[in-house]
Amino acid sequence: MMTTFPLIGTSVTAKADPETPLLWVLRDELGFTGTKYGCGIARCGACTVLLDGSPVLSCSLSLTAVEERTVQTIEGLSHDRSHPVQRAWAEIDVPQCGYCQSGQIMTAAALLAETPEPTDDDIDAAMSSVLCRCGTYPRIRAAVKRAAEIAREG
Amino acid sequence: MTRDLSRRDFLAGTASALLVPFVVTSKSKAAQPRAFNAYLRLSPDGRVTILSPTSEMGQGTHTGYAAIVADELGVDIEQVQLTVPTQPAPEYRLFFGQMRSVGSFGIRAWIGPLRLAAARTRNVLTSAAAQELNVDASTLDIDAGFVVDASGTQHMPIEDLIDAASALPLPEAPALRAPETRRYVGQPVPRIDTPPKTDGSAIYGIDVRLPDMLHAAVRLSPVFGADVERLDPASAPGAAAVVQVPGGAAVVAESWWKAKQLADGLDITWGSSPHDGVSSADISREMHAGLELADAPAAVDRGNALAALAAADTVIEADYEVPFLAHFAMEPLSCVAQVSDIRCEVWLSTQGHDTVLNALREVTGLSPEHIFINTTYLGGGFGRKAHGEVAQQAVLASRAVGGRPVKVIWAREDDVQQGQYRPAMAARLRAALDDDNRISALHVRLSGPMMGREYSHVRIENNLDFFSHATLVDQKYVPGAFRLDHHVVDVPPNTCPWRAVSSSQNGFFLEAFMDEVAEAASEDPLAFRKRQYADHPSHMAVLESVERRSGWGTPLPGPNWGRGVAIVESYGARCAQVAEVEIIEDRPVVRRIWLAFDCGEAINPGQVEAQMTGAVIDALGPTLRCQVTLRDGRAEQSNFDGYPILRMDEVPDIDVEIVDTGAPIGGVGEPGLPPTAPAVANAIYAATGRRYRRMPFDQV
Repeated sequence: MMTTFPLIGTSVTAKADPETPLLWVLRDELGFTGTKYGCGIARCGACTVLLDGSPVLSCSLSLTAVEERTVQTIEGLSHDRSHPVQRAWAEIDVPQCGYCQSGQIMTAAALLAETPEPTDDDIDAAMSSVLCRCGTYPRIRAAVKRAAEIAREG
Repeated sequence: MTRDLSRRDFLAGTASALLVPFVVTSKSKAAQPRAFNAYLRLSPDGRVTILSPTSEMGQGTHTGYAAIVADELGVDIEQVQLTVPTQPAPEYRLFFGQMRSVGSFGIRAWIGPLRLAAARTRNVLTSAAAQELNVDASTLDIDAGFVVDASGTQHMPIEDLIDAASALPLPEAPALRAPETRRYVGQPVPRIDTPPKTDGSAIYGIDVRLPDMLHAAVRLSPVFGADVERLDPASAPGAAAVVQVPGGAAVVAESWWKAKQLADGLDITWGSSPHDGVSSADISREMHAGLELADAPAAVDRGNALAALAAADTVIEADYEVPFLAHFAMEPLSCVAQVSDIRCEVWLSTQGHDTVLNALREVTGLSPEHIFINTTYLGGGFGRKAHGEVAQQAVLASRAVGGRPVKVIWAREDDVQQGQYRPAMAARLRAALDDDNRISALHVRLSGPMMGREYSHVRIENNLDFFSHATLVDQKYVPGAFRLDHHVVDVPPNTCPWRAVSSSQNGFFLEAFMDEVAEAASEDPLAFRKRQYADHPSHMAVLESVERRSGWGTPLPGPNWGRGVAIVESYGARCAQVAEVEIIEDRPVVRRIWLAFDCGEAINPGQVEAQMTGAVIDALGPTLRCQVTLRDGRAEQSNFDGYPILRMDEVPDIDVEIVDTGAPIGGVGEPGLPPTAPAVANAIYAATGRRYRRMPFDQV
């Protein structure tokens, strides 16, 4: 059985069993390893991707659930690290080990698309879904605010 | 002149190592980079490659190395990239004979060798240029990767001198550049690994993909110390292989998800274990019994401390305890192996190269020159990724499928439940106060595992074990009568360095206790510490910094608030913290932390700040609620739901000041962690009048 869905601007077809979590289809079958495995139980957020623009946890989402829906991963956020969130992340020098940052960046991108001028509470509410073991949270908060500025400046 | 480095990319060792079998072979010989010594290579396109003795796991040492080398050699930092050598060698080993990324040694152990390597390389390059230009070498220098003369005129790029310089002898001890000429060291240089960590292109061990690769999941004994009694390979239909490994089995399949499903369904009967039925309460009881023993082997015994305590009028005594902790690196353990009868190659995120090498020698029987270790970025390490068990499993799995490459990934549950924990430990501290309220004698009894005994490369002399006794053995509160002894309690799980290793618990024991001693002396806790450290300028500087910035002694926002202070020296650095805590419905909520840190020269102040902030956030999980407990011989926690590290909305304001008192360069990755728990414990006491002596502080 094949499952087809749009990914990063093109239509892809996956052969995996339809019950396979999207995370492992992305990583093992399609080769998009920017999306990370951290817990497998929808608790850490490292596997966050956008489904029709909204953040979802791909470790706990079966392939059937994305049929004909648009999936966006970190690899498709920009071709050249030019998305405001990526630019802000570099400017604030957010990552340490970096492993959770794909999930952080995708979550932040979805937040800013929905809420271009987020308050501290908005940022906490959105970003608390993604764990960081290195403790980059203060820089993430600063970078989300900076990304909002960059997006406004255009 | 400019140099086109558009192809330049910063690849943590791995990526370039990954390309080795597939790409470099097609290049012409003339285009090969040239190694000038064990640490530096220069490529015809002008790139400088550092052969890094350590891995990059977030601690930022690779950026530090790039800054050190760029400054000393005289190149732009954009010209510099890093790779981790595929074979450990003496040049990459720490003083104890191991190539490891541990002990906050990343900068302090390697700044000397890297700076010297860069200076020697600069010296032969300018000598080669001098011959070509027919001038005295002392009139030449290197700046931004070009030879320049005394007038500042730019000559050839250094890559044009590769052949000529290679023919010259390297000077033994060339002069180093004056510190004031450095462009990068001492500045908050952006991390060189940030760009690939913002677009998903950074490759971690778990991301490695090789042609024809298969995937494996493991099923390991849930009870510590048990092994497979009976295994039915037919219970994994469709598996490419089912392989018995030490402590369990690995299932190989076309995808990891399929392998995981098959491993979960595998029919295994587990044998018995000496730890069947053991729970945390049993271990705790045994550790506390050790506190009551009249004697235990001493690691330090000076000034007849026990007699002084027996004779003293005023003795303060308190017992403390900490539980096991797991590492929970965001990237679970994994390894890719490809093995034949004559060659073994692995790809993994490791901080223990010699440990992996030894594990591979053991499982393959190959000699070291036939073993290749490709190091990727680490998605966190914290001490856990210094072992070789997954590498051995990957080799066994690859062998079982005829030498095809196999990637083993441990599920989070495997990562958490297979031990290698920060030790549980109990401690009893006793101090005698003299008539002038000075501590005249101190006795620390530890009771719990002795981690160093588990490591073959660690020599324990006179019962002194750094992995158990750091921060206590060189405490400065009592220069005279002091005894440190340790009753060893063997525990079911293996223990393992966790961030700050034994200083993580010993800092808590010592600093929570000193608050109790200060109270017995009727003295303010911060003033008490300043009196103790009056002759230690670095300690005084960090204490005065947090005192001033925290408004120590000024009114708090409310009646349920408290402030606490702690200072811990570890890894050759001093860190003081003041925590401000609010008690809400009997639960401590940490509102603010002021931190001051002296590690000597801060090579990259931006990354020192990042390590301090991160260490505090790391510490707050186990301070407030995270622990691993045992029941029936197995860990009760298996994932983040049972081990809730802090989320963003819970992080207090953290205010960091780096002070430099001219002390020798110290470590950075670990010393920010130990003061947090005692500062919070002392703040809780200030708010509630209750002493929290057992971590985490969710239990009174």
